[in-house]
Amino acid sequence: MIRFFILFIVLLVLMFGIELTPIAQRWFVEPWTSTLARVSASLVTEFDPGVVSAGKVLRSTGNGFAVSIEAGCNGVEATIVLIAAMLAFPAPWKHRLAGLAAGIAAVQGLNIIRVISLFYLGQWNRDVFEWAHLYVWQALIMLDVLIVWLIWVRTLPRVGDSGEPPPPTSAAPATA
Amino acid sequence: MNAPTVRAQRLSPLARFVLVVLAWLPVTFAAWYFAAPILLWPAALLSDWVAQLGFADLVRAVEQTGPIVAFTTTLRPGQSVAGGIVTVDVNMLLYSFGLPLFAALTIAARERRRLRTLAIGYAVLVPAVAWGVVADFLKNIAITAPAQVASQTGFVAWQREAIAFAFQFGSLILPAVAPAIVWVLMHRGFLEQMRRIPYR
Repeated sequence: MIRFFILFIVLLVLMFGIELTPIAQRWFVEPWTSTLARVSASLVTEFDPGVVSAGKVLRSTGNGFAVSIEAGCNGVEATIVLIAAMLAFPAPWKHRLAGLAAGIAAVQGLNIIRVISLFYLGQWNRDVFEWAHLYVWQALIMLDVLIVWLIWVRTLPRVGDSGEPPPPTSAAPATA
Repeated sequence: MNAPTVRAQRLSPLARFVLVVLAWLPVTFAAWYFAAPILLWPAALLSDWVAQLGFADLVRAVEQTGPIVAFTTTLRPGQSVAGGIVTVDVNMLLYSFGLPLFAALTIAARERRRLRTLAIGYAVLVPAVAWGVVADFLKNIAITAPAQVASQTGFVAWQREAIAFAFQFGSLILPAVAPAIVWVLMHRGFLEQMRRIPYR
């Protein structure tokens, strides 16, 4: 567990540091955030045609209200946390890759719900928007990451599932 | 046995755990918000100590009003404002929303000695809150302040970069990740039970 913890912290700091570099911002974070805004707008227009996206901004053509998806709200940091947790935990690479694919989809899926919900909360009540934006959704996204990680850990092959016999032991079994 | 009980038993332990966490979150968030002036007093105190120890030449006083920490600096706003000084207000709620998350996770895990776990977790998370508060203050005076204010701080380029990283880490990562890490480390038994095998 200590090895997992140290490796997790190292990977987290490393990936977060890389994310903050101008190159990563330009070639990954900004296009990612724009795509998030476009996907959110395309989902919203299914029931509310008066919504458009421009860059990282989601805007209502009806009342002019707009939200700009900034760092912390684009799901990149949450994804980094999930990647660090899955890479740090001892697991076969096949399970890691499957977990990363499903986990990133789950985190980004909830993040789209966050963006859309904040877009409408902001039009309804500014105080509620601020509360949801600054506190509640931040906690919920991290809870999502934790749940995804717990589910993934539960799906990992257990000791003995590989079909290999258990290692021989010379010690007598402990008795209570 | 009635129907809701049967349905509840069909849920996996993890699903039950998640539902209980979600049920507790509004309660813990309300408790955190209304008790913030008291709950966050140690974080304000720690921020004061760090500021006075590390940046004594920049900080004249640190005062807490509710969840807000006000840093009174030795910096002058500019030549046009005679006798004025720069003050920076930092909202501690921005860096402490992990406390209600940690509390909800701990209560939902239903492990023994929950109060002890909550107390230890709180003590471990207070420095993370203080990190965010101090980094926010430094970011304000060294990076986002007008040039005539930032130049008085004496920070060189690499120090500004370090402050920027500390602020980004303290606002985007630490407030959310710290409670999850502390919770995982303090609930190894619960996690082993969830997974039904020991950690390797």
